[in-house]
Amino acid sequence: MLAVATAEQLPVQQARDGNPAAWDVFFRRYQLPLYVYVFELVRNEQTSLDLVQETFISAVKHIGGLRDDEKFGSWLFGIAHQKVIQLWRKRGGKEILFDEIPESPDDFEDSPDDLLIRREQEAEFMNLLNQLPLPQRSVLLLHFVEDFSLEEIARITETQLGTVKSRLHYAKKSLRKLLKEKNENAA
Amino acid sequence: MKTPRDILFARHQSAAPKLDAIRRQVVLELNHQDTKAQSRTENLVSWCLGGSKKLWQELIWPCRRIWTGLAAVWILIFIVNFSQHGGSQTVIAKSSPSPEMMMTFRDQQKWLDELLADRSLPMDAGQPRIFSPKPRTEITELLTA
Repeated sequence: MLAVATAEQLPVQQARDGNPAAWDVFFRRYQLPLYVYVFELVRNEQTSLDLVQETFISAVKHIGGLRDDEKFGSWLFGIAHQKVIQLWRKRGGKEILFDEIPESPDDFEDSPDDLLIRREQEAEFMNLLNQLPLPQRSVLLLHFVEDFSLEEIARITETQLGTVKSRLHYAKKSLRKLLKEKNENAA
Repeated sequence: MKTPRDILFARHQSAAPKLDAIRRQVVLELNHQDTKAQSRTENLVSWCLGGSKKLWQELIWPCRRIWTGLAAVWILIFIVNFSQHGGSQTVIAKSSPSPEMMMTFRDQQKWLDELLADRSLPMDAGQPRIFSPKPRTEITELLTA
């Protein structure tokens, strides 16, 4: 189990004042979640490490733009998300950014732990995650990695709340379906 | 059974040393910036101190007697000026016109008014004569008569 500092414990004011020790606390807290999120979207170790570093540098530069101290985590992930989008654009991946799912589901589940995976299914889970379309994968990762609220995910990905809801619902549904199919095939 | 979060984190735990290195690098950069800002102020202070020392050694110390003399003169001027300024203020503060003085002042004003009134009257003697030229024959007639 990972021991992570809560948002209340993080020294945002010291970070605003440019205190290196405060930034060290932040980076320590978010380096792995950020890396996981970025890596699962770009699928390249070096690029992911570069993007995490760029995110850290941007955060230090633009900390003045953070309005709510308690939203530091989602703000930081927002920066990382923008970096990933810039990379996609450089690589000509326009279509994946506008993959909209129109309907908003009614039977929405809001817990990242509602999907429990058996040990022997772990590798399969990762494969299935990578098969999801990028917008769905992005939303699902934010939900799994940091348990962000739907509003926070909407802010990070700069999309409508309804779109986030739809993406998360369909991503989970797809993942369950794939896992079920695999289980049935194995049986 | 594991949550997706546990699986994802465990899978990428191997990247932790590289992430630590990145973190240290960024924080070190921040420390450098902090140190640079501190050294900038230190430089400014040392530059000011060095400048004042040089000024003392090259401009003031070689001609110290002249500077001392000038300083003494200025101090004297200030003292004199200050004392005069202070004295005049006290005189102004203390002086309140007495009834005798007011009487004298009124008399003087009365005389002045009278004098001015006299001046305002027409005075032929005081007026400059205007020369009006006449024919020469009239002048000679006047002389012979």
